[in-house]
Amino acid sequence: MWLPVIGFIIGIVLGFSTDWRIPAEYANYLSIAILAAFDTLIGGIRAHLQNVYDENVFFTGFFFNIILAASLAFLGVYLGVDLYLAAVFAFGVRLFQNIAVIRRIWLAKWMEKREKS
Amino acid sequence: MVRKKLVHFTVIMAIIGFMLAIQVQTTKQPAVRDTRDIWQLRQDLKKEQQLEQQLLLEIRRNDEKIQNYLQNPAGNQAATLQETVEELRKEAGLTETTGPGVVLTIEPFYPEDYVGPITYTISPELLKRLINELNMYGAKEIAVADERLANTTAIREVNGVTKIGKKSISSLPIQVKVISDDVTTLYNHLKVSTIYDDFVTENLQITVSEPMPAVSIPKYNGQWRVRYMQTVKAEKEEK
Repeated sequence: MWLPVIGFIIGIVLGFSTDWRIPAEYANYLSIAILAAFDTLIGGIRAHLQNVYDENVFFTGFFFNIILAASLAFLGVYLGVDLYLAAVFAFGVRLFQNIAVIRRIWLAKWMEKREKS
Repeated sequence: MVRKKLVHFTVIMAIIGFMLAIQVQTTKQPAVRDTRDIWQLRQDLKKEQQLEQQLLLEIRRNDEKIQNYLQNPAGNQAATLQETVEELRKEAGLTETTGPGVVLTIEPFYPEDYVGPITYTISPELLKRLINELNMYGAKEIAVADERLANTTAIREVNGVTKIGKKSISSLPIQVKVISDDVTTLYNHLKVSTIYDDFVTENLQITVSEPMPAVSIPKYNGQWRVRYMQTVKAEKEEK
C-alpha cells in the first residue's frame, strides 16, 4: 500500500534534484500530460477496486493519454483553437467520475465492515 | 499478482511525481540571479555612496536652517523664512539668473542648390531632443528664445508653429541660452554631440558659442499655480 506513495515521493525528489526546467512555452503541454497521468492513475485504482484491472490497458492508457493530450494541445496552438480545453474537460470529468466510483466502493466496504463488527 | 500491480502503480506514481516536480519548477519564477561583476558592484556602491552623501548634505542644510530659525529672535525668523522663500523662487525659476554658460544659435541651413519649402520653425521633437541632450550634459537653466524653461513648460506644435510655453517660434534664428555649473564639460560634450546631424536633417544649423562667464537668463513669466499646498493656519494657543 505504501509503495506507490514512496514512489511518488521518489519521483518528486528526483524531479527537484535534477533542476530541469522545460521552456515556458511547453509548460502547457506538461500540465496537460500531468492531468492525463492523474486520470489514468485514478482510473487504474478504480479498475483495481472493481477487479477489472488489466496491466496492458493501464500502461498503454497511461502513455497513450499523455501523448494524445499533448498533441491535442499542440494541434490547438497551430489551429488557433484552445483544443487543450477539450482534454482538460474530458480528463476533468473522468477524474471526478472515477473518484466518485472509488468513494462509493470504499464507502460500501466501510459500511460492510461496520455492520460486521 | 497484487505485488505486480503495486509495482506498476509505484512506477506510474514516480513518473507523475517527476512530471509534477518539473512542472512546479518551471512555473515557479526563475530565481533572479545577481550577475554583476566586481566593477559593476563597485560602481553601484559608489553611486549609492554619492547619493548618501548628497542626502546627508541636504539634511545638514535643512537642519542649519531650522537651527537658525529657532535661535534667532522673531525679527530674524522672518528674515530666515524670507531667505528660504527667495531660495525657492530661484529654484522655481521666478528670478532672473546670471551665470557661466553657453549660447546656442539655431539658424536655417540650406544647400546652395536647394529648392523646396523653407521652414521658419523648429520641430518640437528636435527641440525636446536638444533640451534632453543639454540636461544630460548638466545644464542648470535653459531659455529658448528668451523663454525660460520651467519644469512644466510644454513644447508643442500649434497650427504648424512650435510653441514653447506661451511663446511661438515663427522666425529663425533663435538663441538657446544655457547656464551650467560646469560649462567646460557641457561645451565639450556639445562639441562631440551628434545633435548637429539631427539639426542638419531638418535644414537647421546649430552653432555653439565659446563658454561665456556670464549668460543671463530671464525669469519664468508664467503663473505658477499652487494646487497641492495650503497655508498653515496659526494654532490656537498662539493667538
